[in-house]
Amino acid sequence: MKLKITFLLLLTLATFSMNAQESKTVTGTVKDTRDVPLPGAEVKVVDKNNYAITDFDGNYSLEVSVGDQVRVTYLGFQAQTFSITNDATYNITLQDDSNELEEVVVVGYGNQKKSDITGAIVSVKSEEITKSPATSAIQSVQGKVAGVNIIANDAPGSTPTVLMRGLGTAEGGRSPLYIVDGQPLSDIRSINPNDIESIDFLKGASYANIYGIRAANGVILVTTKRGKKGKTVFSFESYYGAKTTLNQVKMANAQQYTQYFNEESAANGGFLLDENQRYDTDWFDELLQTGTIKNNSFSVSGAGENIDYFLSYNLYEEKGILEGQKYQRGTIRSNNTYHLFNDRFRIIQNLNIAYTNETPKPSGAFSSAYRQSPLVPVRYDNGLFGQSFVNETTGQVTFEGAPGDRVGRLNTHANPVSQVFFEDTYINTTSLQGQITAEFDISEDLMLSTRFGATKFYSTNHSFSDIRASWLNADPRRDEAFFDLQRTDPDDDGVVSTEFANNSYSISRTESYRWNVEGFLTYSKVIGKHDISATLGISRENFNGGETTSSQGYDVRNERNLRNFNLRTDRLFDDSIGGDTFQSTNLQSYFGRVEYNYDSRYYLRAVLRRDGTSDFVTGDDNFFGYFPAFSLGWNITNEGFMEDNGVLDNLKIFAGWGKLGNQSIPFNAQTINTGDGSRNTNYVFGPAQSLIIGAALGTPAIPLSWEVTEEFEVGFDFALLDRKLSGTIDYYNRLNTNAILNTRPVLNSEFLNNFFDESAEISNTGFEFLVNWRDQIGSDFSYNVGLNFSTNENKVQNVKAAYDGATGGSLGNGRITKRLADGQPIFAWWMYEADGVWQTQEEIDANASIGNASPGHLRYKDQNEDGVIDDRDKKYFGSYIPTYNYGINLGANYKNFDLSVAGFGVGGNKVYNGLYNTRLGGENISEEIFNNRWTGPGSTNTDPGADRDVEASSYYLEDGSYFRVSNITLGYTLPEIKFVNSARIYVTVQNPFMITDYSGFTPELNQNGDPTGTTGIELSAYPNTKSFILGANFKL
Amino acid sequence: MIYKLKIAALTLATGFMFASCDDFVEDVEVTVPEAENSEEDFEPVNFLTGVYGMHTDFSYAFSYLGITEMISDNADKGSSPTDSGTDKRELDNLTHTSSSVSVRAMWTQWYKTIGRASQTIELTQEYTGQSAAPTQRVIAEAKFLRALNYFWLVRSFGDVPLQHIDLIDRAPASEVYAYIEQDLTEAIAALPNKNEYSNLDVGRASKGSAQGLLAKVYLYQEKWQQAADMANNLITSGQYDLEPDYATVWRASSENGPESVFEIQARGEIPQHGVQQYSQTQGARGPSGWGWGFNSPSQNLEDAFNAEGDVIRRDATIIFAGETLFDGREVSASVENPRYSEKAYSSANAGQGDGDKNVRILRFSEILLIRAEALNELGQTAAALVPLNRVRARVNLPAVTTTDQASLRPLIWKERRLELAMEHDRFYDLVRTGQAKAALAADGKTFIEGKHELFPIPNDQLVQTPEMTQNPGW
Repeated sequence: MKLKITFLLLLTLATFSMNAQESKTVTGTVKDTRDVPLPGAEVKVVDKNNYAITDFDGNYSLEVSVGDQVRVTYLGFQAQTFSITNDATYNITLQDDSNELEEVVVVGYGNQKKSDITGAIVSVKSEEITKSPATSAIQSVQGKVAGVNIIANDAPGSTPTVLMRGLGTAEGGRSPLYIVDGQPLSDIRSINPNDIESIDFLKGASYANIYGIRAANGVILVTTKRGKKGKTVFSFESYYGAKTTLNQVKMANAQQYTQYFNEESAANGGFLLDENQRYDTDWFDELLQTGTIKNNSFSVSGAGENIDYFLSYNLYEEKGILEGQKYQRGTIRSNNTYHLFNDRFRIIQNLNIAYTNETPKPSGAFSSAYRQSPLVPVRYDNGLFGQSFVNETTGQVTFEGAPGDRVGRLNTHANPVSQVFFEDTYINTTSLQGQITAEFDISEDLMLSTRFGATKFYSTNHSFSDIRASWLNADPRRDEAFFDLQRTDPDDDGVVSTEFANNSYSISRTESYRWNVEGFLTYSKVIGKHDISATLGISRENFNGGETTSSQGYDVRNERNLRNFNLRTDRLFDDSIGGDTFQSTNLQSYFGRVEYNYDSRYYLRAVLRRDGTSDFVTGDDNFFGYFPAFSLGWNITNEGFMEDNGVLDNLKIFAGWGKLGNQSIPFNAQTINTGDGSRNTNYVFGPAQSLIIGAALGTPAIPLSWEVTEEFEVGFDFALLDRKLSGTIDYYNRLNTNAILNTRPVLNSEFLNNFFDESAEISNTGFEFLVNWRDQIGSDFSYNVGLNFSTNENKVQNVKAAYDGATGGSLGNGRITKRLADGQPIFAWWMYEADGVWQTQEEIDANASIGNASPGHLRYKDQNEDGVIDDRDKKYFGSYIPTYNYGINLGANYKNFDLSVAGFGVGGNKVYNGLYNTRLGGENISEEIFNNRWTGPGSTNTDPGADRDVEASSYYLEDGSYFRVSNITLGYTLPEIKFVNSARIYVTVQNPFMITDYSGFTPELNQNGDPTGTTGIELSAYPNTKSFILGANFKL
Repeated sequence: MIYKLKIAALTLATGFMFASCDDFVEDVEVTVPEAENSEEDFEPVNFLTGVYGMHTDFSYAFSYLGITEMISDNADKGSSPTDSGTDKRELDNLTHTSSSVSVRAMWTQWYKTIGRASQTIELTQEYTGQSAAPTQRVIAEAKFLRALNYFWLVRSFGDVPLQHIDLIDRAPASEVYAYIEQDLTEAIAALPNKNEYSNLDVGRASKGSAQGLLAKVYLYQEKWQQAADMANNLITSGQYDLEPDYATVWRASSENGPESVFEIQARGEIPQHGVQQYSQTQGARGPSGWGWGFNSPSQNLEDAFNAEGDVIRRDATIIFAGETLFDGREVSASVENPRYSEKAYSSANAGQGDGDKNVRILRFSEILLIRAEALNELGQTAAALVPLNRVRARVNLPAVTTTDQASLRPLIWKERRLELAMEHDRFYDLVRTGQAKAALAADGKTFIEGKHELFPIPNDQLVQTPEMTQNPGW
């Protein structure tokens, strides 16, 4: 990018100079080292406005004068300059630009040469992104960037969680800031991954801090593609794939289930199941299907004299592994650059239109499939969905029974197939995102940039519930006549319960918007060995604004196209409508940056951002904050004494420090608790016992400020052995100095409601290693190996007295699994330590035990040895956050074949098997659990029996480490065909296998990333999927 | 050079765009909701309602049962054997710990109620607007409720922090009692008699409520003379009498009747509001049942009624499996537990979340028994027989005639048990009178002296205030 700007700038200046020399025409061919012609290379006379672009066969012809210097440039190759003599033909061979040092990196409000960077920035290029097809480009980057932990979810259309250098906040926003071509966005799901040129992760505070109050969770800069000088390129990309579950858990069959159930029931004095049962349902077989992915992209790009253009269209379609689950996205992008006034003035315009259609299905079906008994049929003979009814008298799993038979339930879980069947939701969204940037070269050294960008987002959610059919299916003994009778108001109270509506239908619409305006001056000047550049700017943003409206009605027609509130079949029920508007946030910012280096040896960089946000305007003048940062660098290999050292090609040490903010924090509001109905502010008085509405003061609001994270990093970039081996190694230390926690008032204090307070510090420290090796053997074979490894230690410290001990990770059955404590990772696992299995009642009587311990139950360790098992015996067991992440990327090219293999893994984390733990009785179990269970004294001292308690304990906490081969791609580039610039076909296998000790479906448990919630607990997680993809791309 | 003009214009335009910059942030008006800014006008009496309202929380329908009755010899955990009701099984077995959620729930509930009462008193004192309710009465009611909650705290935990002084230092029980006495004395002076309340105010704490509670507070401190006198003040006030039929004292028909000294109000009609799920948690479980089956009256209690030949109170206190209730409801013989608490039964709203059950906190018969006990301890045994036999006469039991102080003492205690069974007093009575170890042993439980007299300070409180001391033995 910068090269091109420099070039265009030079070009502009050249127009003002005189040219009196005699000219002639020279021709030639530009090729690479493998003799492949390079179409679209620029062949340009230095300091003049003459240039040519090579054609499809690499040929050019150019007007020159003898003595001219001609420079040949081509992206990805080292530029070459030659002098014009009396020859007429100049064939040029360009070398691969393997050192990448001239590459420019987007750093926010400008670019910087990669060789000048003094901080940890990782740049991922388009080829790496498109290699792993996914809805969001961020998911494609998983495992490729040291220090960036991406937790994905394979549900169609889902958004992955991104943790950059650890989790530094509990209640504040956890997402990184996305900046797309200079424009802030909340996520990049609306962007076609094929449109992306590069993604830059600003990990270090000295770089991220230019985005001030929103940079604490890291900054991700996305740059989209633009037209390039040369021939117009038409590009087509298509792939098709199939998806299946990666790590299917084998469940117990009918016979095993029956035996397990009977063992549990016998221990509790319940009824027993007959061993001969009619059904043996494999719920996962019934529930899951093979999903599909389809993607078609088309783009046209190029450049005319004054305009660069890039236009693309993409249609992505994914069918999930649940029936009817679908996600479809179409995008249209138009990126144009207008070069005006001899390129002194440039207008850069981007437009992206994305629409999605989605039919989601409940992920609760996965947990129902795990839990529902195999004895229950998918459907009964009468066509109704099977339910967990059991005739307790005969022990047969059926809803039927002779008079006097007791018909109960095996368990309280739903039929997963019916859950999916009755979910009828349809969501469509449209997002319009556009921006215009104007750049003006005020002088040779000074440039003014101004930018306006805006995004508008619309979403409509249609949700239909077939109440009548659900009611009938919930219990096959039900009678439609009863349903119809209830609709006639039999008790004559004038009210018919909506429980007996035929159906309900709701539509909700959401609109949101954001915009930003910014202007900045960029100055750069080289004076001798002094290279200085400076940026000074100002920006305004408005975001978070929007509104939502919703309406709900009953008894509409069942047909999808006729679901209309005006075409209702009955009007027994009132409609309801609702709506909300969201207050937008205004952000006013000033920023300045100075970069200086002396002789490319000593680097100095200072950044200051001042941010003010309307969220914190409370009357005082305290809503502006300053975010400074500094970094230093020393390039040792550019020192005289390192010249010709023969080993090191590059060694640059850097260190940086900066302050970052997180303004996305929850607010305290002191409200008076009041309201109607049954609540503890109301009471009954008087002879008629009237309900009197009362009130109580809420917990006083403590004013809060944004969270401030301070970061220090130090590291070095290196390259050696002719740049075959290169990489970066760094250390970081981040500290959220005022982490906001949801705090429970002291139990014996007067206030009841929880409140938010700046209660602790959260520190994240770690090392990051990124090493690449690339080599070429002969002219036909080249290969590269990339490794990354990063560590993270997460710790909560200096928790304010009285605020310690907040709990989280509720399993939904009154048991919790996490707790916040000083010195532990944020919301660390906290539970009993399982210590074998009680073998006999005598053993229980002789030792400390919990509540209703009986033989076969887990035994818990009495940590404080006081003879009692209580909270004080619960222990911390680390965190769901991995302490290390690693990735490996292998690539090889042989002649026209290319092969790449990528894999990644995490370790040091624990995940909780909530599916196994949370039982109420009568649920199915996995075959493994069945086989390992305790069956009597001496059988096992590890696994509990069929009858066990539901306490949360370390028994259910499993090692969450895994290694996943995420991508294997084999491609073949077709030999030259007439008119086809390039053509490649490929086969990709995504997630072919995973190595993990975890016994559930997936140790990658994203949920919504909330540390206080069920993140890291498998309760109803979407399983990982593997996919097989065939694709092709052509360039014309 | 026309483009230079254009560019100059563009540059200027950019400059104007950013003029008067910081104001942009203030364009958005952010209002932090503060109590004072609330749109609605609240009067002190609204906050007082919020203090009363605290007594309708679910804690009183579950946790409270555990630490008052299940733990005693009156009741068992009940319900299904597999349903531990979180920590109810442990309470029933006296194996509860400082982590027991019921103990934590009540500790928190009482302190939060005290907090609301103190806030109400403060708000009332500061209030300058026109108030519908007399200021002094509102303050007095709040003081009564604050005293009631401190009394529950002090008898459960012993030395406890006085919230307005410090949250960590545990004030000696004697100081807590002194604070309770002060609140009640001031409340007695300001509260109207029960019959002086208007119809709309039925259910509020009256002078009698405060007198009754103060008498009980004196009793717990063994201030016999004051207990006897205070009970007498109430007895002679002419405001109270016994219900003629014991069977009705916990039924809807006797709500706020002559026997009622203080009770928690509830309504069964929609919108329903009462002690949340009080009738449901204690309702019969299983076929024909309507509830969860907790707090099942024990065999030991049934035996105590039978030993006394006390049929009336036995049948008014216990629902037996297979019986037909007064309202015609048939309880199947195959319900899961043999006995359920009839005092918790609501005829109209049996298994509903909220119901019409007014939970009686102080009844006239208890005041009579307080006077009887106090007079006996003062050696006035003959005088003590009068209130005692008044209670017995209602349920057709023969009059007690002994005037031997030592013989009369256990008879009065026994009378308290039978009269007030399942009314959330038994465990404290056992501890107060020193009968706990023997009585609980008779019910097959192990009461450790020096430990079980008090509940443990909840572990979560100690996590928040590590300097606070724990009770002995925990």
